[in-house]
Amino acid sequence: MEAITITLNGVEVSGYAGMTILDLARESGVYIPTLCHDPNLASTGACRLCLVEDEPSGALHASCVAPIAPGMVINTHSPRVVAHRKAILKLMLASHPDSCLVCDKGNRCQLRQLASDMGIGLVEFQRIPQPGVIEEVNPFIQRDLSKCIMCGKCIRADQEMVVVGAIDYIHRGSAVRPTTLNDVPLEKSECTFCGTCVAICPTGAIMEKEKAYTGTATSTVDTVCPYCGCGCNLNLGVRDGLVVRVRPSAPSPVNRGTLCVRGSYGYDFIHSPERLRRPLVRVDGELQETTWEDALQQAAAGLQKVVEKSGPESLAVFGSPRCTNEENYLLQRLARCVLGTNSVDNGSRLYSAASRIGLGATIGYAGTTGFLEVLERSRVIMVIGANPEVSAPLVDYTVKQAVRFKGARLCVIDPCRTRLTGFASLWLRPRIGTDIALLNGLARIIIDEKKLDVEFVTRRTDNYAPWARSLQKYTPDYVEKVTGVPGQDIRAAARLFADAEEASIVYGNGITLHADGTSAVIALANLAMLTGNIGRNGGIFALQRECNAHGACDMGTLPNFLPGYQLVDDARARQKFEEKWGCRMPEGAGLNALEMLAPGSRVRGMFITGENPAVSFPQPARVKEALASLDCLVVADMFLTETARLAAVVLPSASFAEKEGTFTSFEGRVQRLRRAIPPVGESLPDGGIIQRLAEALGVPMPYTSYQQITDEIEEIVPFYQHTAFKNAGDGELELTDIEKGLFGTRRLHKGLFPSGFGRFTPVEQLTPTDVAKDGYPLTLLAGTVLFQFGTGSRSRRTSRLGRFRSEAFLEIGGADAKSYRIKDGDAVVITSEKGRLDTTARISDALPPGVLFMPISFPESPVYELFATSLNHQARAPALKSCAVKLERTTANG
Amino acid sequence: MAEVKKPPRVNLRQIDKIIAGYRGRKWALIPLTQAIQEQVGYIPKEVIPRIAAALGLFPAQVQGVITFYAQLYTEPRGKNIVRVCRGTACHVRGGKSILKLVRQYLDLEEGETSPDMEYTLETVACIGVCALAPNLMVNKETHGNMNPKKIARLFGGRVKE
Repeated sequence: MEAITITLNGVEVSGYAGMTILDLARESGVYIPTLCHDPNLASTGACRLCLVEDEPSGALHASCVAPIAPGMVINTHSPRVVAHRKAILKLMLASHPDSCLVCDKGNRCQLRQLASDMGIGLVEFQRIPQPGVIEEVNPFIQRDLSKCIMCGKCIRADQEMVVVGAIDYIHRGSAVRPTTLNDVPLEKSECTFCGTCVAICPTGAIMEKEKAYTGTATSTVDTVCPYCGCGCNLNLGVRDGLVVRVRPSAPSPVNRGTLCVRGSYGYDFIHSPERLRRPLVRVDGELQETTWEDALQQAAAGLQKVVEKSGPESLAVFGSPRCTNEENYLLQRLARCVLGTNSVDNGSRLYSAASRIGLGATIGYAGTTGFLEVLERSRVIMVIGANPEVSAPLVDYTVKQAVRFKGARLCVIDPCRTRLTGFASLWLRPRIGTDIALLNGLARIIIDEKKLDVEFVTRRTDNYAPWARSLQKYTPDYVEKVTGVPGQDIRAAARLFADAEEASIVYGNGITLHADGTSAVIALANLAMLTGNIGRNGGIFALQRECNAHGACDMGTLPNFLPGYQLVDDARARQKFEEKWGCRMPEGAGLNALEMLAPGSRVRGMFITGENPAVSFPQPARVKEALASLDCLVVADMFLTETARLAAVVLPSASFAEKEGTFTSFEGRVQRLRRAIPPVGESLPDGGIIQRLAEALGVPMPYTSYQQITDEIEEIVPFYQHTAFKNAGDGELELTDIEKGLFGTRRLHKGLFPSGFGRFTPVEQLTPTDVAKDGYPLTLLAGTVLFQFGTGSRSRRTSRLGRFRSEAFLEIGGADAKSYRIKDGDAVVITSEKGRLDTTARISDALPPGVLFMPISFPESPVYELFATSLNHQARAPALKSCAVKLERTTANG
Repeated sequence: MAEVKKPPRVNLRQIDKIIAGYRGRKWALIPLTQAIQEQVGYIPKEVIPRIAAALGLFPAQVQGVITFYAQLYTEPRGKNIVRVCRGTACHVRGGKSILKLVRQYLDLEEGETSPDMEYTLETVACIGVCALAPNLMVNKETHGNMNPKKIARLFGGRVKE
């Protein structure tokens, strides 16, 4: 590219064609004031404060939109420029209220900063006030348009960054203002309350509302969001040991200025009055506060007693994907080396096991194969069994950006309407549980029409011929009969996917939590390999529900794997760890979490960190019984959860804001958490608790800092070998290639699979077991909602999330509601083979006939009571997506 | 008093047919809204999401464009559009009084539509026939050299009993 040289304030500087004057000035360290410019947004030149003078032509350019041209002699602070800038600023101030003294934006207001920088005091212009505060009942965002300067940042953030489109300008001239469609309050609009506009607003026009703590943050800390697996970077504002605000971390390459409602407003739980501040022990049936020494001693004694009575294999450990990599590493070492059991598991295995096994069998790597920028530049994106708007908002933003601004085509495969279906060129609505037939059908059409990537298939994969033969019966007609999707749509989807130069697949719990989840993941991987969309182009994006689901499994908090997926049964792998840790390890795979708590289980003592199986497991009532009947239950948690209430010893854990460590995001980025505040009360990070417990058990672990644990992980976990974050300035590095020497590669495979070849694996569509059947004519889907998270232990204790749309409900389609004569708000009872549940109906147009939806985040309405605990044979995980139910109306209101 | 008629029901099928001709063409927002207005007389609010979905835009964006242009309306308008000129030439020749009289006769403020959907009163900055000032237009017809008598002839029938 040709360099262009211009003179900037008397100095010659060079840039490349297409660069704006502002870009070049920033690069050269020359300050130009701006209000409407943001690196994450397309420039519009709205505020005009970035005016600069081009001396040869005498023109004043808005530098944020004016490209550099040869021969320019730019002056950024000539008297003429400064005079104009001052006039513009004064005009803004003339329609801005004088409420700076009480405005919460205070000195963070960019308008005020600029006025003070330029020495503008009281303005002599006639004041023309603008309309003021808009009355809204949502607890998140407050709009005071009297402070609006019409920079349009909120509108562009809404449309370009999160691609929601809730707001735009209305009217024109002096009447113009940003508002929603039909000028309704935000809570009645499309707004998702992601808070991106709040973070980007230069003045006090859009502000955070109903904050738990007020006051300006005195220090800020960059860390990682503790909710979903996207791994957004947060900037916590701290004052007097309290987290007073959260913003997207400015320079983050991960979330690029965006967050979601959970990330922006879901942190009040840190200072919830319900936080456990001191350890608790059970005395005469009641939990009472005690000292750490006493609690640890009782915990150790209780666990040791179980070992003496029934042996170490009667102990089990259940860890959490919300704990850091280091903590998970310690936890499985505690289980294997200190307690002597392989019965160690983590909560993410319930839904990610299908991914790990399915992808492991085909592409040889158990995770997402690319970064979000690969997804963003894909020409075709297939979203199947996932609603990323709820489960992974950052992926949702990326998909929508690709569609709206990069011309990608979207194919959504989902029986339910989601926001993404509005962006889709093709929306297939298969019957629930028939994904495998559909995916096999797509593959067959691609093969029949000779649209496969022959070179990739012959050079990079094996087992093609037997697999292709297995697709014989999946003709479009047959697939139409099974799935209910019209044959022409199936053909269109196959062509769309196969013809794209780069195509990506996004899938989530709608695939993995079904009984046949593993097979469906394999079918997806087969499709991606057939079209050459792995490693080289496009990729597979497996959404993770929890912030460290990837890491918890990588660290070996699993019954059958050591850290780095080295088999427990592999004597050589075991020996490596035994030498490292100086201990003897038990042989043979242990029990998984569901087996630990199944009736007749051999487990008599358990240590649970940060998990709440009494709500998150199927048949919670029975799980509670099993937990209560244990000889010794030790729980480490932030709150007295339903599980902690049953424990003999409860140890208070610290939240994400109070600890150091790393999380591995679903993309495979290993990102560092930083401590923002000291632990609340006497609580300790889970890592500290594990070490102290090991000490109390008489087998202390030799770590004095997190750094040591991280170093050991790098040494011993194969694909973490290059993640030495201590060497990285920004504290973030990606899990890249498994091969040494390929460090820095942005792709996992580069066309090569870790095992050398990708393996086509035949899978068959079986009759779905988790859908409507005789006597139970409806299919109930269980899932998450945007304003809650997981079982709700944190989101429900976050005041604003807890209050907003916080009632449990059952969604029912309009047609079904009519045939059951159910109106919005009617009390209903749903019954499955396993249990019954009372709830309130809500009519929704998103659901196809015969399908109901219920969120999982409300413990007062435990939807998993309806689900069976049976494990599917491949992933050893329960099917927690759907089940067969029947529905009755109990009362009618009116 | 004129009979009060409800604004006509929106014929969504007719509008959907118009929209279908522009599907997928983002640039066509203004021609599309003009086409709808041509046939329906205004752009009903409830069709904004349909327009947005068809063109791949956000509904708020479509609303922004519609409210920006004075030529696009979101409320139903009368059968007859009366535009009184407020240009400089008309102003110095008594345009203000002409507007006042029209307002009285039609019992309407600027921008309003009579409840019987017969008249909509608007003002314009200049009609372009300043030589005949003061001017007004009724639909596509221009009336020059306006005076109270002429106004009475045009709108006299509307005076309240």
